[in-house]
Amino acid sequence: MASPCNSVVAQRIALVVLSGGEVDELLTDVLSNEGWSIQRVVDNHEALLLASTTPFDLIITGRKTRALEDVELFRKIRSSRPHTRMIILTDKWVPGDVIAAMREGAFSYFSAPFEASELAAMVRAAMAAPCWDDGIEVLAGTPTWVRLAARCDLATANRLIQFLHGFKDPSIAEADREAVATAFSEILINSMEHGGHFDPSQYVEISFVRMRRAVVCRFKDPGEGFSMEELRHAAVNSPAGDPFSHLAVREAQGLRPGGFGLLLAKKLVDELIYSEHGNDVLLVKYIDPVGSQVT
Amino acid sequence: MALQITVRECGDVIILDLRGRSTIDGESELLGRHLRKLVDHDVRKVVLNLADLTKIDSSGISIIVGTCAALRRRGGDLKLLCPSGRVLDVLTVVRLLEVIPSFENEAQALGSFGPRGYFATS
Repeated sequence: MASPCNSVVAQRIALVVLSGGEVDELLTDVLSNEGWSIQRVVDNHEALLLASTTPFDLIITGRKTRALEDVELFRKIRSSRPHTRMIILTDKWVPGDVIAAMREGAFSYFSAPFEASELAAMVRAAMAAPCWDDGIEVLAGTPTWVRLAARCDLATANRLIQFLHGFKDPSIAEADREAVATAFSEILINSMEHGGHFDPSQYVEISFVRMRRAVVCRFKDPGEGFSMEELRHAAVNSPAGDPFSHLAVREAQGLRPGGFGLLLAKKLVDELIYSEHGNDVLLVKYIDPVGSQVT
Repeated sequence: MALQITVRECGDVIILDLRGRSTIDGESELLGRHLRKLVDHDVRKVVLNLADLTKIDSSGISIIVGTCAALRRRGGDLKLLCPSGRVLDVLTVVRLLEVIPSFENEAQALGSFGPRGYFATS
């Protein structure tokens, strides 16, 4: 797996493939406010031509192309400039595209509809990185089952969560997608924080499986695990009549108020199953495909 | 939408209007900084207006709970105003509304700080 890169980027130039409208204006605002210079092209063909002569630190694709076309562009550019970052924008979600983008090492992926402010935040995150080093490695992937390793740092977690938000499978109700995304986020952060101690040399292994009637996520963290019964500082173990009794335990242990992540995840999905050692967890959300009839 | 915070004063009550999301990716920390600053400046009464908050996760919940605890230790309190949609769902799931009162309008929230006590509607 790649290790964090410490070198300093000499140039701060972004290439933007025009999407039209508000997205272009937003990107101009965000990039220019940070003092980046911007070059704009109308399509991926022009982008490739320009990228062959100019080293761009960040490339943001246009919404009109399919993500796989953007991934192909990225592959060609990275063959000669491996530290280029790319944020993929697309109007059309296609199964497998998110995995292809992650596998190729894209910085992020947005499929419409997406919020402009979330794109702006991700662009800022891409700009803030001193140089590009992925942190997400696809170990195996099909459109229905992806297994990957994610470095234990918050920036990588945020990127991975955005990739999941890009998984806009229309056969899953938006409320269910949101529930899975929030639970995924809570367990991922938990695994990185308590299992990996946010140590960037450590990785959490994650599987995401899209079944016909369920979404299953598995998180295997590098820690020694824990016993759920002994987790008295977590809200998940507070009794029904005293939902915040864990806060006194946390205070006694010198911990900040908190401990709500496991409870929230558990309530948002149908099953949250920990292994005997507590460093391996399954998150299961049963779904009724949109438009289908349950038989 | 990233979190935007507007601070208003109404007598001795500080109202924070939150717009966007309070989640782990940096936004909750922004809320935490605002609230810590208020507590450090000896503010005792705070209302969080959640009407335009679109998303919250455990990081945002932790900051609200921590601030509420800090204010109560100082003889103050924190109230919530108009949580809705997914935010209301999350706050309900973690049973936050059983501990921190929530109100449907600003006048009720402000009035609840008075000697007559709470008008909790949740």
